Order: sequence, then C-alpha cells, then structure tokens
Amino acid sequence: MKTKQSMLAAVLVLGFAAAPMMLSAPVASAQASRAATSAETITARVNGMVCDFCAQSVKKVFGKEAGVTDVAVNLKSGTIAVTLAPGATLGDDTIKALVKKSGYALVSIERSRS
Amino acid sequence: MKQQSRALLASAVLAAGVASAGEADARPVSYPGGWTVMQMNNGDMSSLHVHYSPTVTDSIGFYGESNWDGDWRFAGVQYNRLAKRWNAPASQGNIYLKLGAGQATPFGSRGGGSEAAGFVGFAADWETRRWFTSYEARAYELGFDRTFRQSARVGVAPYLGEAGDLHTWLMVEVENMPDADDKVTVTPLVRLFQGVQLVEIGYRPASEEFLFNWVYRY
Repeated sequence: MKTKQSMLAAVLVLGFAAAPMMLSAPVASAQASRAATSAETITARVNGMVCDFCAQSVKKVFGKEAGVTDVAVNLKSGTIAVTLAPGATLGDDTIKALVKKSGYALVSIERSRS
Repeated sequence: MKQQSRALLASAVLAAGVASAGEADARPVSYPGGWTVMQMNNGDMSSLHVHYSPTVTDSIGFYGESNWDGDWRFAGVQYNRLAKRWNAPASQGNIYLKLGAGQATPFGSRGGGSEAAGFVGFAADWETRRWFTSYEARAYELGFDRTFRQSARVGVAPYLGEAGDLHTWLMVEVENMPDADDKVTVTPLVRLFQGVQLVEIGYRPASEEFLFNWVYRY
C-alpha cells in the first residue's frame, strides 16, 4: 500500500515537472519560427563616432557582413542600427570586432525584432 | 616663371578633375579596404595624396607636392600610421605618424637635378561634433635642401548635423614655414562636409591667396 502511494506521489511530481517542459516545447518552436521570419535590429552604442567619415566607415564595414540589410548611424546618440535579414544573426563578439574594425569602441548592444 | 608654373599646375589639377593644401587636413587613414583622394592647394603649395587603407590603423599611397614657395616638387610613396586613437562618448582624438620616400626635383630659381628625398610627419587632432582642433608638423629631406613646416587649426560647427547632412565648419588655420617668405600665415576657412566628400575654401588676407582643399573617400 505504501509502495503504491509512493509511486503515485512520484508520478504526480514527475507529471508536474514535465508539464512546463511540454508547454515550453511549442513556445520554443514558435520563437524559433519567429526568429526565422522576422528581422532582427541590433542597436550598438559606440564611443568616438563624431563625423560623417566615421559614419561612412561603419556603414562600409557592417555593410560587407552577410545578412546585413541596412546600417543607420545616429551621430547624436552615438548609435549604429544594424538591420538583419530574417534568420540572419550577428553575435556580440562579431559586432564588437566590426565596431573595432571601423575604428571605434563598443559600449553596449541592444536587440529587437520587427 | 613662377606664374607659368602655377598656371600649369592649375591646368593639370583641373584636367585631372581633382582639386584640394593645408597640412592639418582630414584623417589620413580610412576603414579597411577604403580609398581616399586628398587634394590641397594654398598660396605656398599644392599636393595630391591618394591612399589605400588595408587596416583601420594604416594607409599607403602616392604623395605628390609642388612647393611654389621653395621651388621644388616631390613625388613618392607615403605611409600613414594611426598610432593612437581615443574614443570617448562625445569626442575622438588621434595621433598619426607619416613617412614619405621618393624623389624631389628643383625648379624655378633652383638649379640641379632630381634627388632622392623623404619626409617624416606628425599629426594630432581632437574633435567633438561641435569643436575641432588639430596640429601637424612635417620635415623634409629633399637632397638639395631641408625644410620644415607646421600648422594648427581650431574650428567650430555653427550647427550640429546628423550623418548624411551637410556639415559646416568655421575654422582658422595658422601655418608656420620658417623657410618661406611669409613665415606665419593665418587662413580663415569654411569646411563643408557631407557623406564621403569634404571641401575647404579659405582666404589669406595678408597675402591675398586662396586655400582650396578637397577630400573624397570611397
């Protein structure tokens, strides 16, 4: 009897534990699907970007990266907005390297999807 | 003779379609893979520098100069090195080193043939979107002579433009050429800057000479 109760308790515990996992599977799938169909915009805040030649450097360097569809520079806020093609990604390390290659210093990265 | 030489050079510049001479010019190193044409003219000299940047800290290319005040020409290779850059939230500072090697040819009042020649240069600048300061010094070994010049600039932008807008700068350049007839010259100038193009137009009231510089980056 005690064994049956223990087994029942174990099943219930496992059931509750499994439920969120079962629920999360479709959520993760939906997120992956959305990532594949929506465009990611990366906003990188950088130091040292003060003139149009700076903007030109950033546009040229980022524009050569596969998957980059648009590069917009805002001198006032010191930010670079990089739009990627759906499904394309740029890792933080890559972004940092590209900012350095352009001649500037990365401060922060923010990501959003449209 | 001097007038003829000036006319010849002016024609050549116009024919080439590139025209731009102060030393405190725009940054001599571009982005990796970028080319830059810098053409400078003032009452003392005209120069053309076409360079390629393989990295963000180096550029190399042709440098040619006709020095009307010293009666000599130089043509050769120039290497530029971005030795240090300070990137701050609202400003940028740079130190550049420059090396040139080539051939110098005297003309006008000077006699003699071409000589192996070279120069070393140092440049520094600091700018925000509103303020600009720079300094450059260059020493030449021409074979038949040695010469030195230095210049400094201060500038202010009357309005702040965004990337792609027309940027306007009001600047004053002070140049010192110890060997020149006018050892110190002061040139107020306007810099117009948009995208990949930069034009500077100035006038030296004391000597009644114009300054015209032009930079194109691609």
